[in-house]
Amino acid sequence: MDYSMEDTQNAAPDAHETSKLSSTAQRADTQSVTKRLQHELMELMLSPSPGISAFPNADGNLLSWTATITGPTETPYDGLSLKLSFTFPNNYPYAAPTVLFITPIYHPNVDFSGRICLDILRDKWSAVYNVQTVLLSLQSLLGEPNNASPLNAQAAELWDNDKEEFKRHVLARHRDIDEE
Amino acid sequence: MPVSDIPFAHFGPYSYTPDRHYFPSTGQPQFAAPFSFLTHSIPQITLAFQQGRASSAYNMAALSPDEMERFQQLSNNFEPNVQGPLVTPKQSSHAIADEYANADPTYATKTSTLALTHPMSRIMKGDGNCGWRAVAFGYFENLFLLRDPLRVQRELIRLKSMNTLLDQVGQQEHLYEIFVDESEAVFNQILEAIQKGIQDDSFLVHAFNEEYNSNAIITHFRLLTSAWMRLNPGRYQAFLSLPLEQYCATRVETVKTEIDEVGLQALVDGVIEGSELAVEILYLDRSEGEVVTPHLLTPNRPSVGTIRLLYRPGHYDLLYRPEPIVTMAPVVNYQYGITSNYSPWDQGALSFDVDPHLMAIPNLMMDPAAFAVNPSPMSAPVSNSYRMSPPHDLYLQHTPPPVSIPSPPVVPRMSAPPPPMTSAPNRSSDGPQIRLNPLVMKNNLSHSLPVTTPFKNSPYNQAHFQNQDFEPIHWEPNESRK
Repeated sequence: MDYSMEDTQNAAPDAHETSKLSSTAQRADTQSVTKRLQHELMELMLSPSPGISAFPNADGNLLSWTATITGPTETPYDGLSLKLSFTFPNNYPYAAPTVLFITPIYHPNVDFSGRICLDILRDKWSAVYNVQTVLLSLQSLLGEPNNASPLNAQAAELWDNDKEEFKRHVLARHRDIDEE
Repeated sequence: MPVSDIPFAHFGPYSYTPDRHYFPSTGQPQFAAPFSFLTHSIPQITLAFQQGRASSAYNMAALSPDEMERFQQLSNNFEPNVQGPLVTPKQSSHAIADEYANADPTYATKTSTLALTHPMSRIMKGDGNCGWRAVAFGYFENLFLLRDPLRVQRELIRLKSMNTLLDQVGQQEHLYEIFVDESEAVFNQILEAIQKGIQDDSFLVHAFNEEYNSNAIITHFRLLTSAWMRLNPGRYQAFLSLPLEQYCATRVETVKTEIDEVGLQALVDGVIEGSELAVEILYLDRSEGEVVTPHLLTPNRPSVGTIRLLYRPGHYDLLYRPEPIVTMAPVVNYQYGITSNYSPWDQGALSFDVDPHLMAIPNLMMDPAAFAVNPSPMSAPVSNSYRMSPPHDLYLQHTPPPVSIPSPPVVPRMSAPPPPMTSAPNRSSDGPQIRLNPLVMKNNLSHSLPVTTPFKNSPYNQAHFQNQDFEPIHWEPNESRK
């Protein structure tokens, strides 16, 4: 439990000191995470990449963002708008964010809960990756699925053998998500 | 030293390691290279699991697909539950020997020898960063131990100037600056500690145990290594089983991929070597021999300090040699203080000159032409300088209470001619300039005295010539006669 947010006005001075000591390191980390995410946000706004965008959620918590990818041309996702949620751990960037598709998507490397199988979000995560690089990787994953380790085996098979049928599944599953 | 200069046999110890069979060449293709069994990331642990399953397939056949699925999940998600701090304080290496006491006899022998040659060690947490952490910690620790503020400043500037390498390979400053800042903070802590005269290294241990900051420093070192490799692909590509760019992205820049041989060499070449520190690995494996196999990663040249890594298959820790009891600088008269059957002589009873500087000159001692007893004019000043000379302190510490019957000091037998002196006194022109212990010159003395093996600190020990820091003592006769 994080005591740093506790209302210390009514607490005894001793208790205050104790909680302050125990949470100093934690708070320093949180500051570093916040600083890093603010930098990322600034970069995204100053030099936006075509087809991707991301912004922290309106609740004021910088640790959860919503992002949007536009489906690249010449892929079955051409022109589709796909929403994702980013949840950053409090040791970010030394651990990957949790990234999920909110928009229902039919893709070999995404399961029906929106969970994504992508190495850079797992053991190949690097502290220099960021929201932008993750979104660009996901954008290219839409056009080049990794069919060697599919989460959706049917999608992998159709991608390899029947592109038309694959695209029908994509469009059937897609549903635009309204703004919150 | 470029990697290409390493003889391939250097990787030899591993060919004797039975552990190798856990990483079959039929496994994942990227592990097929010579270095395959040196890395030890989580996927390989998985591989080991799978190997275990394959070898006991008849047992597994009894399991339902659901159970198989569950085991696969467990295997995929397996992470060793490692305990303890990221970096421990220095502790006795006997702890390592104890760990292996009941293991393979080779390990038991090697670790008990190790506890003697390297009595202290520092254990790194095996969380996938131990090799990186060991080198980074060893680097900062050596800078602190040298207590040279100028050097610390110089290193800080050197490391920060390497930001240009990061820029050259396309890293973005707004992403890497937090890592560089954290390293800079440690440099500043070291400077402050040196200026305050702090001897205790616990501030450094503490800095490396703050997980967030520790990760930042390691990331900084990883990014510098990666940039260095990308800018010097010719030195490393031949040793990699996958394209260098991919290697850097998936093995070096990642947050929890353990360092392998190539990455370690690149870290040393690119980041550490410029500091004039040496890096040595001591391999603890089941290869032949009774001692761990040492290997120097830096060029064989004078260094200001050494980062010593203990490598056990899959893990790196730090090792420390015994604290130097004496420095090499004034190598005089140690044979008296150190000989085991030593008994001090009564200085007043013997009228010869005990000037330590003169006693240290071996070929003069053996040269009858140089020998003449002429003690009286110099005796008083000499005894003063003797008392004040640093080795005398040591001599006192090791001196047992005087015994009533003085026995002559032992003169170690020289097994080879001593090093040539650069400034031998001109004896023929102005007569002997030196007075020696008369006992040395007794004809039958060498037969009557017990001859001891030269102690390792003795100036007669030829092992000094293998020490890269060794410098012969130059005796200037005029200086000590003033």
